[in-house]
Order: sequence, then structure tokens, then C-alpha cells
Amino acid sequence: MNEVLLVDSVLLFLVTVCAVAIIEVRSLYAVAMLTSVYSLLMALVWTNMHSMDVAFTEAAVGGGISTILLIGTLVHTRRDEKPAKKRVHVPALLVTLLTGGALIYGTFDMPRFGDPEATIHHYRVPEMMSQTVAFVSEREGKQAPPEGYEPPPRMVPTAAPPHGHDAAHGDEAEHAAEGADHGAEGEHHEDGGHHKHPADDFNGHVPNSVTSLLAAYRGFDTMFETTVIFTAGMALILLLRRPREEESTPQEGATLRGQVILRVMTKIFIPFILVFGFYVITHGEIGPGGGFQGGVILATAFILYALIYGRNALYRIISPKTLDVLAAVGVLLYAGVGVACLALGGKFLDYAVLDKVSPGDGEALGMTLVEYGVGITVCTVMIIIFNQLAEEPAKAKAS
Amino acid sequence: MEWTHTVTAVFLALGCLFSLAGSVGLLRFPDFYSRLHAAGKTDSLAQMLILGGLLFVSPDWGVSARLAIIALILFFTAPTATHAITKAARLDGLEPWTKEDSRRE
Repeated sequence: MNEVLLVDSVLLFLVTVCAVAIIEVRSLYAVAMLTSVYSLLMALVWTNMHSMDVAFTEAAVGGGISTILLIGTLVHTRRDEKPAKKRVHVPALLVTLLTGGALIYGTFDMPRFGDPEATIHHYRVPEMMSQTVAFVSEREGKQAPPEGYEPPPRMVPTAAPPHGHDAAHGDEAEHAAEGADHGAEGEHHEDGGHHKHPADDFNGHVPNSVTSLLAAYRGFDTMFETTVIFTAGMALILLLRRPREEESTPQEGATLRGQVILRVMTKIFIPFILVFGFYVITHGEIGPGGGFQGGVILATAFILYALIYGRNALYRIISPKTLDVLAAVGVLLYAGVGVACLALGGKFLDYAVLDKVSPGDGEALGMTLVEYGVGITVCTVMIIIFNQLAEEPAKAKAS
Repeated sequence: MEWTHTVTAVFLALGCLFSLAGSVGLLRFPDFYSRLHAAGKTDSLAQMLILGGLLFVSPDWGVSARLAIIALILFFTAPTATHAITKAARLDGLEPWTKEDSRRE
């Protein structure tokens, strides 16, 4: 038995124990903590599988912010679950067993764990991995290119395009814009468009293939994920926000005034959290991380500040109105990059057109901008959600 | 076997031992405060030992620096968290366990 499998088995066993505990435990605060433990264990599983981006997201979102938000929600409800009637519902049990059986049966068709023959190691992924600097500079610790693999021809910068090409390009751009208007008609430009570089080549500018996958190949998915988060923030504002009549509620950090240790530690650590958050957002295309994780980390810094110093102190730094606007700005930045691509004669979110000289640079620029957009929206929406959850009890007491 | 591996093994074993002791204390001690005392102290020491032990086998300076930073951050945040939890319990009115409590039972 190899070590990876052993570690995975132990971790998955712990995950199962955790899941059972979550179902059985009646205290909802304990459940909130257990979900956090569950997420951290899953993050370890992902790390064991070398999928750092997923592990990072799981740790930051599942283990971090969602626990805070869950506990924030629990403040409004009750501490304990209602005791459920212990009775076996036979049809439900049958449906569960059937679904579970079907799912397990489905896994038989999946490749064995760590199988080198698995499709993912042969279809597309090797080409994408070849964009990484790892193959180029043969850095230690990175994967060697698979046997018999030929890297796609490196993109040649078209610094001074011949005149004829330029004219043709303009023509095509017009045509492409027209095609976009008529929807599917633009499809047949797939090969003949402005792409002088291989479709998958980002010129080594985006070494993290996960980011290139999420921001370029699946750019639409990521954009709408961001929109979903934005919508969640808006929904919470509409549901929970009350008009703020009494601006100066004197409850700011009242219970934490004497907490010298907490206040000092918070003051020391918030700058580091902020720097790390910015680092994760801005380096998403190079290392693990990106807008989602970085945004969440940034948000925790603000939430920590609000927890220790009171929400009014947070509002003095960043007003609720600014937060609302910034949440929209992030989504608009993402969509705006797409529109800019359209305006420059490409397709929506086709970042290569952003840089005429070197499409690879354009891809990197587009992805970075898009990550900033995601980061801004995620960060502000998380703060908005926290603020809305924290607002309610103060109002209830006042009324 | 290189001497660095031996040092790392000793450090890791010590770290695991302290972790285990903390877990036993968490289960066996009579009340909230003493349990947290067991868990909090041993955790800080165990993480220092484990991360410090790994320093000896880290392949380059980048990894060493990261390990050191993680150890430093945990060294500050873990006791702060313990402090916050205890203080919250105290403010909530939880009385520490005394010998009278055990006699009453």
C-alpha cells in the first residue's frame, strides 16, 4: 500500500466520522465548528492530491469564512436543534440507498486513483501543463513532461505586422463583432481569427494552469459564479437591511473594551492578513490562489476588525454605501474586460486581443484584471453579509 | 541515515507526544478551564516542535522561511484564541472547578 493512499484513507475516515458527528450532534454551535473541521480535513485531502487551488479554497472559504457566517446566523436562531422523532421512513431510506448505490456503481467507471492511463493525463491537460514555466526552466519539484510529448510551437511576437495583415485584421474584427451580434454565426471564426498563437498558449505568462482554466477556458462560468455571489449579497441586503435611523448606536465594542490582548493582537495581525490577501489575489496566475480565496482572506481582516472594535469603527473606514458600490464594481470589472475584448475585435472574454503585440501578455493581463474583479466582489459581499447578520440583534434590542 | 533525519524524527516524536498528552488532558480534566489549559499549552509546544523539526529537512531557504513564519504566527494566534475563549467563558459567568465541587458529587 503506498503512502498517499494510506494518508488519504485515514483522512477520509476522519471526514466520515466528522460527517456522522455533524448529523448526530444537537448543539448547532458544535455543528458549525464541525463543518469547519470537515472543510479543513477535506483541504488536507486535496493537498494530498496536489490540487493546491482547491485545497486553498476549501480552507479559506469552507474552514474560514463560512464558519464565521454560520455562527453569525446561529446568533439569530437557536442554540440547539429540535429533537427529531426517531422513526425510519422506509421510502426515504430506499431512495437514499438507491441513489447511494447508483453513485458508488458510477465510480467503477472512473479511473483508478493515481492511474497514469487516466484520460486526464492524455487529453488537453499535458498541453496546458506545458504552458507552465516548469517545463521550460525545468524547475525542481515540478512534473516532467509526459513521454513522447511535443510542446506546441512557442508563440512568435508579431511586433511589426505587415501592412496587408493589418488591413485583414481590421476586416476580421468588424466581421467578428457582427458575428457576436448574430450569436452562433461567430463560431466559424474559431480557427481563422486573429489568433496567430496556438489557442492554448499563454506564452508562459500564466504558469498556474488552474487559473488559466478558470479565468480563460471557463471564463463564463467564473463570471457567473461571481454574479451569484453578488446576487447573494444583494438578496441579503434586501431581506435584512433596515433603514438606519439612529446612526450612533453606542454599542460599539462595548463588551470588548477591556480586552487588551485581543485588541493588540488584532492590530498586529490585520496588516499581515491584508498583505497576504492582496498577494493571493495578485499572484493567482502564478501560484495557488486567486480572486475567490484572496477576497475571502481580505474580508476576514475587515470582519476581525469589526468583531473586536465594533461595527461602527468598520463603518468609519469603509461605509456600507462604499461596500455596496464596490460589490457591483467587481462584477462590472469582470464583465467590462469582456466588453473591452469585444470592442477590440475579439470575442467576449477573449483576453488575447488586449495586447496587440504579444497575445500571451494580453491573456495574462485579462486574467489578472478578472481576478481583481472577483476579489473585489467576493471581499465586499462577504463583509456585507457579515454586517447584515450582525445588524439584526442590535435593532431588535432597540425596538 | 543522515543526522538531520534523526533530529527531525526526535522532534516529531516529541511533538506527537505533547499533542497526545494534550488530547488526554482534554478528555480527562474536570472542567472547562483546565481542559482548555491542557489543550492550549500542549498545542503551542507541539506545533513548535513539529514545525521546528521539519526545518531540519526543508530542501531550501524558501521552505524554511515559510515554516518559520507559520510557527511564529501560530505561536501568537493560538494562545490568543485560547485567551479569548477563556475570557468569554469567564464573562459568561462560568465558575472554575474547585475541590468542593468534587466532594459534592
